[in-house]
Amino acid sequence: MKDGDGALMGDTKVSATNVNVYYGEAHAIKDVSVEIGDKAVTAFIGPSGCGKSTFLRCINRMNDTIDICRVTGSILLEGEDINAKSVDPVQLRARVGMVFQKPNPFPKSIYDNVAYGPKIHGMATNKPDLDAIVESCLRKAALWDEVKDRLDKPGTGLSGGQQQRLCIARAIATSPEVLLMDEPCSALDPIATARVEELIDELRDSFAIVIVTHSMQQAARVSQKTAFFHLGVMVEYDDTDKIFTNPSDKRTQDYITGRFG
Amino acid sequence: MGVSTLILVVLALAAAGYIAGRMKAKAMERAGARPHSRSGFHAAHVMNWVLLPSLAVIVLIVIARPIIVDNAVRAEFPAELRQDETQSNLIAGMVSQIAGGLTLLDEGEREQVRVGLVPLRPLLAEKGVALGGADIEPFMVRAADTLNGLNSTFSGALWLLTILAAVIGGALGWLQIKPEMRARNRVETVIKGVLIAASAIAILTTVGIVFSMLSESLRFFSMVSPVNFFFGSTWDPRFAAADSTGDEGGQYGLLPLLWGTAYISIIALIIAVPIGLFSAIYMAEYASKRVRGIVKPIIEVLAGIPTIVYGFFALVTVGPIIRDAVAVPLGLGSSGSSVMTAGVVMGIMIIPFISSLSDDIINAVPQSLRDGSYGLGATKSETVRQVVLPAALPGIVGAVLLAASRAIGETMIVVLAAGVATRISLNPFQEMTTITVKIVSQLTGDTEFTSPQVLVAFALGLTLFVVTLGLNIYALHIVRKYREQYD
Ligand SMILES: Nc1ncnc2c1ncn2[C@@H]1O[C@H](COP(=O)(O)OP(=O)(O)OP(=O)(O)O)[C@@H](O)[C@H]1O
Ligand SMILES: [Mg+2]
Repeated sequence: MKDGDGALMGDTKVSATNVNVYYGEAHAIKDVSVEIGDKAVTAFIGPSGCGKSTFLRCINRMNDTIDICRVTGSILLEGEDINAKSVDPVQLRARVGMVFQKPNPFPKSIYDNVAYGPKIHGMATNKPDLDAIVESCLRKAALWDEVKDRLDKPGTGLSGGQQQRLCIARAIATSPEVLLMDEPCSALDPIATARVEELIDELRDSFAIVIVTHSMQQAARVSQKTAFFHLGVMVEYDDTDKIFTNPSDKRTQDYITGRFG
Repeated sequence: MGVSTLILVVLALAAAGYIAGRMKAKAMERAGARPHSRSGFHAAHVMNWVLLPSLAVIVLIVIARPIIVDNAVRAEFPAELRQDETQSNLIAGMVSQIAGGLTLLDEGEREQVRVGLVPLRPLLAEKGVALGGADIEPFMVRAADTLNGLNSTFSGALWLLTILAAVIGGALGWLQIKPEMRARNRVETVIKGVLIAASAIAILTTVGIVFSMLSESLRFFSMVSPVNFFFGSTWDPRFAAADSTGDEGGQYGLLPLLWGTAYISIIALIIAVPIGLFSAIYMAEYASKRVRGIVKPIIEVLAGIPTIVYGFFALVTVGPIIRDAVAVPLGLGSSGSSVMTAGVVMGIMIIPFISSLSDDIINAVPQSLRDGSYGLGATKSETVRQVVLPAALPGIVGAVLLAASRAIGETMIVVLAAGVATRISLNPFQEMTTITVKIVSQLTGDTEFTSPQVLVAFALGLTLFVVTLGLNIYALHIVRKYREQYD
């Protein structure tokens, strides 16, 4: 845990109130309200199937792509309701980037995977600019050294952990304001994990980051705020220090001490 | 009683074997043994032991019987007759007629016929059997007797040996039931064998078809040089003279037919690929579940329409429209039958192939790829163009190639819509024709299977086969490569 995190933390970036999510009849998220700070890392923890991914997907409206999924409640990004009619989900997703739980590189070259976002958003006018973006993003994702000689090879040919880092590079290439990371280190070795955590720390200076993780240590290491989910309910949301040293709910206590989950 | 009754008996025995095996295995289980295999496998194992030997006996005898009988019958023929194959074949047919007739007589009558007291023909005519052909000679009656005798021996032997094989096999199988016997593995082996046999039959049939085409084609190429066939630009087989064997009697240039086939197929693909692909994209990416559930079956109905119906459609509707609206005003042609008509209608015919296959392929692109693209702020069409289609492209190419081989092999539409004139021309409003149409026209009529006019059909068929096979192999190769990408 880092000292003085509270001091660094900016204003509220995303503010969710009474969010409910239904998959058909199933009630997956129950009345969740949370304030996600700008220039800070927020961790979502909780047992498998408790709705962490589902809630994360509300923030960039990825749940729109699931037919049976229905979201109610309000989610404000910098005070603007993202579910309002006037908001274009396409633009929203350019501002709120996402690294998915399962690595999903496009069946394109490594270079094109990273260049995909910058290209569609017209972020680079010429090839050298694009090359620079690709290189810096791959470096940040701790992948550059492994792939710099094979940028034209398919991204699907990388190992699982490399694919995960490729997806991180791809997500940060669009310079989002909010970065949602769904278990970004689940397939990484300790070295790559440390590198990604460094990256998260770096990015925190400019973005709001939400990370889902099953590793208590990781949540404790990288985040300033932690939310504990259980069975679709957000049980507790507080400073990370507080959650890990002195949780106010029994269920949180049980989970972080490994008694269930 | 025929072979089918025998097979029923064998099946009944197999069922009995199954039950007996099951009972023994169950008893064994009850006695406290922990058998290697469950009782069902032991039972199936006994059943296999009943079935396999007895079916093998049936197959062997059924195959061997006509050969042995035929040889024995011909052994009765005078030596000089045996030299002449055509004549012996005729007489052999006659003998089997006589043999059939003899079975209708009683023993006394038969004896009289044998010693020559009574002429056979009127006697059989009385019984309602009209013998045709040559005069009946004593050796034919002898041969017919041999035939009948052998046949009844064989029938008896067939039953006896089959049932013997079934019973002995079943007993042996039943005796093998022991706790440590690996019945499961053996049954699995038999199942595998049966499956292999089924696919071997499918493959052998294909090989047989190819060889029959190949041998006839070789006969054709012994009359017409392959150079003239493959590179000739004139198709004019002429009519065969009555005794034209070995006489060329015409020109057999493949090129005009190949050109017509290719031209029509290309027009068909130009029409079908965009329409099919776009409707597939709509169905897979844009349509709601409900719309897709309605649209997809409707498009697939198109695939079930017999091609002759498309032919009518071309002849009655599309042909006149193209002629009156395009060809005549532009002065490019005056016939309702044209490459364009056939191509357009054929294109309509293959739309469902392309759209339905492509729809499946696009749907097989993992949702996570789309999510990845949407998650980066891509729009739907950007996602389709840059992620989904490239991922699905190899499969779509495969679908298009499969559709192309359908188009190339299509006959009915071309017969009705493209005409029968052979021609190499770029003008799509003229009549042209294809390989398949010429195959039909060379094979219909009563020319003999020895003249090049008819044999050319096999050479054409072989060419077509090789072309479509090549396309299919290429398509399968591409589809397979595509599958590997996500596994
Ligand atoms: N596409 C979907 N359709 C129907 N139900 C879904 C769908 N996605 C998730 N769910 C359900 O919603 C609940 C929450 O799932 P979610 O993926 O958000 O869990 P999670 O907390 O991310 O779990 P994990 O840690 O295993 O990733 C689960 O009960 C799951 O079965
Ligand atoms: Mg999840």
